[in-house]
Amino acid sequence: MFLFLFRILKLSFQDIFRNIWLSIVTVTILILALFSINSLITVQVISQNAIEAVKEKIDINLYLTNTASEEQILSLKSQLEELEQVKNVNYISKQEALLSFREKNEKNPEIIQALRELGKNPLSPTLVIMPSSSEQAPELINILRGYQSNIIESRDFTDNSIILEKINNITDKVNQVGMVIIIVFVVTSLIVVYNSIRVAIYTHRREINIMRLVGASGSFIYMPFIVSAIIYSIFSMGVIVAAFYPFLSLLQPYLEVFFVGYNIDIIGYFFSNFWQIFGLELLLVILVNVLASLVAVRRYAKI
Amino acid sequence: MIKIFDISKYYNPKFPVLDNVSLHIRPGEFVSIVGQSGTGKTTLVKILTGEERVDSGKVIVGEWDITKLSRNQIPYLRRQIGVIFQDFKLLPKKTLSENIAFALQVCSQSPAKIKKIVPSVLSIVGLEDKGHRYPNEVSGGEQQRAAIARSLVHQPKILLADEPTGNLDSINANEIIELLQKINNFGTTVVLVTHNREIVNRLRKRVITMDEGRIISDQEQGKYIIR
Repeated sequence: MFLFLFRILKLSFQDIFRNIWLSIVTVTILILALFSINSLITVQVISQNAIEAVKEKIDINLYLTNTASEEQILSLKSQLEELEQVKNVNYISKQEALLSFREKNEKNPEIIQALRELGKNPLSPTLVIMPSSSEQAPELINILRGYQSNIIESRDFTDNSIILEKINNITDKVNQVGMVIIIVFVVTSLIVVYNSIRVAIYTHRREINIMRLVGASGSFIYMPFIVSAIIYSIFSMGVIVAAFYPFLSLLQPYLEVFFVGYNIDIIGYFFSNFWQIFGLELLLVILVNVLASLVAVRRYAKI
Repeated sequence: MIKIFDISKYYNPKFPVLDNVSLHIRPGEFVSIVGQSGTGKTTLVKILTGEERVDSGKVIVGEWDITKLSRNQIPYLRRQIGVIFQDFKLLPKKTLSENIAFALQVCSQSPAKIKKIVPSVLSIVGLEDKGHRYPNEVSGGEQQRAAIARSLVHQPKILLADEPTGNLDSINANEIIELLQKINNFGTTVVLVTHNREIVNRLRKRVITMDEGRIISDQEQGKYIIR
């Protein structure tokens, strides 16, 4: 068995090196196909992060009157928390609001000076309401618009649904285009692998003929070509794994700048899902290539 | 050894390549199958090696009914039958020894066995000192000898020689025929397909003459019949 495998491997490597340029083209096409698939996964991860980031930004602020007592505010807070559309309600007192305002504007001496000249805290206590989900945000906004309470001074509804819709639309478009690119590359890979095996069979026609003549088993004749297809797949996958992480490292700083304040770790995502992504891709690419080479062998290497 | 019952083979439905051919070759016989080009001799060889299937009839080689053989069984049939051709079918980038060893390697023989068999078959064909040479470094006759040596690696009971002297001058051709006779003397059934009249007439062995896919003559110690 070991001898059989050793001889099959030897013949496979002979196939690959005798048609080295064709092998390079085959591997290049496979790499491009795999790169397009992984790029699409990256886009998916980024858009998912973007959606989450925007969803987190949906907050509804109720500015309360300066005269509202702590008791009234906490009572309103617990009434709002009982609404099923509400995830949580955060109470920011006047003092907390002032502290936060000062922190945000510490590099702006004019504003700090104006605040000092005012002599009193001009900010109102605020209730920051987080919806249970982004889908429930419009409903919650409607409820709060009609919500009657004499301590509510003003209401601020930051509606991010349009941004979410835009992100979803862009993601869908990217996915559609990506799928077309993947299909094109997968079909091209199939054709290229099929033709590579065909040419390898043609180059080995004398050997195949002699193998048949002297009674080599069918598996001994066609296995080298199948193994060649597997070697192409493993090599392409190896190149993609080796090249994709540096690519992600280049991308990561840009993403960190773009999603400032959010924890987006694309390299971490690919590391933690290594086998689910690259393992599955390897299995798929082997399956597709073996199928293509089996068809070529059955058609051209008549056993 | 070889029993053929009413076989027919068509590539074109109107013109049979073999038309109700029947013959019986006994173990250890030396049989020449003669006839002009296109009379079905090579098709007959291809049928005997399982390369072609008959459209009707039955072929028994040894204990195998080869008309019922599955694709997986054909390699085992081929290991029972040695075949040589006019164009030798040697791999140019391998030495004569490597060409012979290749036939054993592809049939999963161990390196120890290969090391033992290759020199012995080379010695049978008289090439014991030329195994290290490449096909283009030896004569046509020697290439055919190497091909014969390769066909002997599985110790076949039958040796099919399809025009083995077609590419050789008369001296080399005679040497090859002598070698085939020597192999026949060891007990191997030899089927020689040829249209070399001189060789057939000198052999004085059984001659089967074919014409238009039919056997028109089958004579013990026969001669080449010109139609």
